[in-house]
Amino acid sequence: MSLSVALTKGRLEKKTVEMLEKSGYGIESLQDKGRALVFQDSKKDIQYFLAKPNDVITYVEHGVADVGIVGKDTLMEGGKDYYELLDLNTGICKFILAGMPNNNPLEKVGHIKIGTKYPNVTAAYFHAKGMEPEIIKIDGSVELAPVLGLCDGIVDIMETGTTLKENGLVVFDDVCRISARVIVNKVSFKLKREEINALIQDLEKARD
Amino acid sequence: MNQIRIPQGMRDLISEECEKKEALKNRIEDVFASYGYRPLKTPAIEYLETFTNAYVDVKDEEMYKFFDQEGKTLALRTDMTVPIARMCASKFVNAKPPFRFRYCSDVFKVRHTFAGQRSEVTDCGIELIGCDSRSDLEVVAAALDTMKAIGVNDYELEIGNSEFFRSACAAVKLNDEQVKALASYIDRKSLVELQEYLQTLNLDEGAVSFFEELPMLGGKEEVLQKAEEVSFNDALKEEVKTLRNLYQDLKALGYEDHISFDFGKVPHLDYYTGIIFEGYVGNVGSSVLSGGRYDSLLKKFGRDLPACGFSVKLDALLDVLPMEKKTIIRVFYPKGKEVEALKKAKQLQKNGAVELVEAEVQEVEVKA
Repeated sequence: MSLSVALTKGRLEKKTVEMLEKSGYGIESLQDKGRALVFQDSKKDIQYFLAKPNDVITYVEHGVADVGIVGKDTLMEGGKDYYELLDLNTGICKFILAGMPNNNPLEKVGHIKIGTKYPNVTAAYFHAKGMEPEIIKIDGSVELAPVLGLCDGIVDIMETGTTLKENGLVVFDDVCRISARVIVNKVSFKLKREEINALIQDLEKARD
Repeated sequence: MNQIRIPQGMRDLISEECEKKEALKNRIEDVFASYGYRPLKTPAIEYLETFTNAYVDVKDEEMYKFFDQEGKTLALRTDMTVPIARMCASKFVNAKPPFRFRYCSDVFKVRHTFAGQRSEVTDCGIELIGCDSRSDLEVVAAALDTMKAIGVNDYELEIGNSEFFRSACAAVKLNDEQVKALASYIDRKSLVELQEYLQTLNLDEGAVSFFEELPMLGGKEEVLQKAEEVSFNDALKEEVKTLRNLYQDLKALGYEDHISFDFGKVPHLDYYTGIIFEGYVGNVGSSVLSGGRYDSLLKKFGRDLPACGFSVKLDALLDVLPMEKKTIIRVFYPKGKEVEALKKAKQLQKNGAVELVEAEVQEVEVKA
């Protein structure tokens, strides 16, 4: 049976396409993609399409895509109705708690305000520490919020740390590691078990 | 202002969809009736307490709640099993089990906004109350007949056993919190987190590899063998044997083509107490039938009876079923010949639907 695979556009796209190529998949159309949205594998019975991270989850949850490749950051913030079968060990970065020097929210007495694009991740992190901050949802350039005094700290993704440093922020704690994951629609996993297991095994080999 | 919107998660159905849904409902109810199940109706509105009494972890945010005149909290029913359990303990208190009940009713759950999910769905199911696990075969056979009656060739019924997981947890003495966390990782087949979590539990090697294997212990008949191999004590082997025996019986009845197993199926541990199963059809992204054994639910309403049942979510299936073929006979008539036209129509009604059409014709005409 044919498989449909949703790939996350952008940063992860290149890395996943590389892994697929390494596994001997026919992904030429993905490398030279023009304006197309759906791509046929030239060697296997697989269709790929590119989507934004949150949409990858939505497509997989609805079964429109059998398999999705998406960052753990998006999975932690979004839905849960899928199987998460593999850590691709690529696209690695981490969630961190950062803020202005000498103003560690974890040591503050009283009301704490945290700015973030990831309210669910932030809430889970603080609740596990027995703390309950006020969470302020911010859509872009989260680093700006503590500089301007909107909040005591931020929970955000850090790759190299350069942006934080340039804005005079310091890291207080690592929240967790993030990497690309393979998610699978629950029904597809039952009805297309062989095809999906083969894909997972190939990706696992390409990873190791 | 024209109020034309409906609340999030709700759907209007047009006639073709209603016809499709009605035909599906009839096919399924015919199966239920043929096994001797009799219909029940319960109110759409129950006391919230009825549901919080039944489930340990009721998801509060998933319930539609409101108040009655006395300030008591009411809820729209989220399933039919709980109201039937309640009814069993009250209206049937003087009746002798076993009971075979069927239902087809709308149930309500608040779904995520803009996630494309429905908050109101029709649940069509059966409950066999008062029979222990020896009746699992009968219920699973009914489930397989139901899957067939849906009318899609590409279907599968996947069977698991919640006791397999529970017995393993008890053997390695995990506490409730650990069991819950582990069940969540295994049921979601969240392999990465499962491995990380197992590291923190200090279990011996056999147990660790058992729990690591569990999410992937799924597939056709041969998975029973694999499950036996990872079983680290006799109690676990016994649980595998239960499923193997069930499979042999189903095979003897000719059902084997559409059966598979998943030992990593462990949802709602506070609810299911034995076999547990889900039905899938091609091109529908979620399970369309689900059920299992729940021997401890009725006790919570004061009537300690074992029970097993399942239900089909009709709405999920509508997209993959073809339109019902309906032939409508049309009776055309000129102005002033309404009585003659209606007379003709009434003769024809025994053959099917008849529609009256006023038209520029001389005499009453019939067209199929």
